[in-house]
Amino acid sequence: MPPAIDVRTLGIRYNLRLTRRNTVNVTFRNLARRRRGPTHFWALRDVTFHVDHGESLAVIGPNGAGKSTLLQVLAGILEPSEGVIAVNGRISSLLTLGAGFDTDLSGRDNILLAGAFMGMDHGEMQGRMGEIIEFADLGQFIDAPIKTYSAGMNARLGFSIATAVQPDVLLLDEVIGTGDATFKSKSRQRVVELMGAAKAIVLVTHDMSWVLDFCNRAILLERGNAVAAGDPTTVVALHEERSAMRRTGGIPDLLPPLDGSGFR
Amino acid sequence: MASQTDAVRATYRMARPGPLATLKGTVRDVLSRRRLIQYLVRADLKKHGADTLLGNVWWILDPLLTMLVYVILIAIILRSNREAYPLFIFCAILPWKWFSSTIGAAVTGITTRELIIKQVNFPKIVLPIAITAGGVVSFIFGLVPLLAMLVFFYPSHVSVWLLALPIVAAVQLVLTLALAIIVSALTVFYRDIGNLAGHLLRLWFYLSPALYGTDQLDKLASEHPSLFSLYELNPFAAIFESYRNLIYYGQAPTWNLLGLVVLESLVLLVVSVLVFRRLEPSFAKIL
Repeated sequence: MPPAIDVRTLGIRYNLRLTRRNTVNVTFRNLARRRRGPTHFWALRDVTFHVDHGESLAVIGPNGAGKSTLLQVLAGILEPSEGVIAVNGRISSLLTLGAGFDTDLSGRDNILLAGAFMGMDHGEMQGRMGEIIEFADLGQFIDAPIKTYSAGMNARLGFSIATAVQPDVLLLDEVIGTGDATFKSKSRQRVVELMGAAKAIVLVTHDMSWVLDFCNRAILLERGNAVAAGDPTTVVALHEERSAMRRTGGIPDLLPPLDGSGFR
Repeated sequence: MASQTDAVRATYRMARPGPLATLKGTVRDVLSRRRLIQYLVRADLKKHGADTLLGNVWWILDPLLTMLVYVILIAIILRSNREAYPLFIFCAILPWKWFSSTIGAAVTGITTRELIIKQVNFPKIVLPIAITAGGVVSFIFGLVPLLAMLVFFYPSHVSVWLLALPIVAAVQLVLTLALAIIVSALTVFYRDIGNLAGHLLRLWFYLSPALYGTDQLDKLASEHPSLFSLYELNPFAAIFESYRNLIYYGQAPTWNLLGLVVLESLVLLVVSVLVFRRLEPSFAKIL
């Protein structure tokens, strides 16, 4: 049986010339002063790992290490610039909730629209409609345009839609912090249920208790490289030691990137 | 050591599909996302009607008012003496409105969906396709005042050739779709296209026989035949003339010119789809 997620020598390269709102003017200027400064930035490089069915993998690391980029690649939003990825099964990604809605449409229309964007079957989405509305707890606001919603209502609706699909591979990106206390405990419970049902999980979080409670493997990303992998307790300990050093103003030694072979 | 790393990197590489496979994949993607296109069109139509007092009546009023402006300018101030001038220009204004509003929406079609593109993986080509499909609906609404005008004011212009309207509209649809697709992708890289599009569209309109007929270009045709054939390469020269033949003159469209437009449009459509698919992976990085 192939692993649920198989990633080999993955690299994601950003072209710094093209990134961010370009105008013809800027392009010409860039052409004129060619070869000055770096033209590329590797958000991820030489990352190799796999997640077997039934496993849950935590991805930890400091800000800007490439954690969210990694999730975007796994979700198919970004294409590898180098290397290959293979994901077996239906994916759901909970990447940045509450955004991407069409604010002029009602909550109900947005549920259908979001489902269609995610490629869900229409009948399936209709069937889950009641459940989504109930979980989001929006009352009669469900028929009002989204632009009248508060930030919390928006986030609740986003969370309900994203977790309504039953995925084989679940990608979670720091989703636990939305809503008031009641909704927080409700959503934590929903995530735990989903984690129980999914065949494989990749979790990106800064909350180490989640890593230790729910994951059976962890990798540490730093500057786009996987620098440590294995048992969550060991990897979390290494990460916390290095974070503590950064907090006190120290600069920890650069860890060499793992080569893929040491991973399996 | 470095070369060894490069060797490992070279072992695994994603295959890039060839042009034929890309086209095939695109058709499959679009067909599997019919529902999404349908929702996007419906959402668009809903929004258009929602905020205005007259709602969707504007789809009928809009081309009528545009026509009125030109009738005042040309028939009354410039004293054109063409028979049934309002009908004459309406044959061109209505299809042009469809084309220009579709391209105008396509310019921002990808960039305004930034958030969803960064969150969900879906075939981005459905966005310009949905915009084009939404335009078809408003064009169909615009046909209502056209037909009313024919029946009530110019019954002598009515002919069986009106039944051929869908053929000319289909040709225009292919051209519009092709341009909408490529424009929406290129704007991601060059936002200037948004500023430029309005002016280019206006120039294109005046360079096409919308407010005047090709019969008024006799002088150009006799003195500069090469320039005139260049003029006839403009797909909207053939499209406007064809609409006008069907609606105003009540005769067959110029089939060979229209056939040329079909050919141009299909080539452009293939190129557009290939360019779009080539650029698509970069959207999430650049937006």
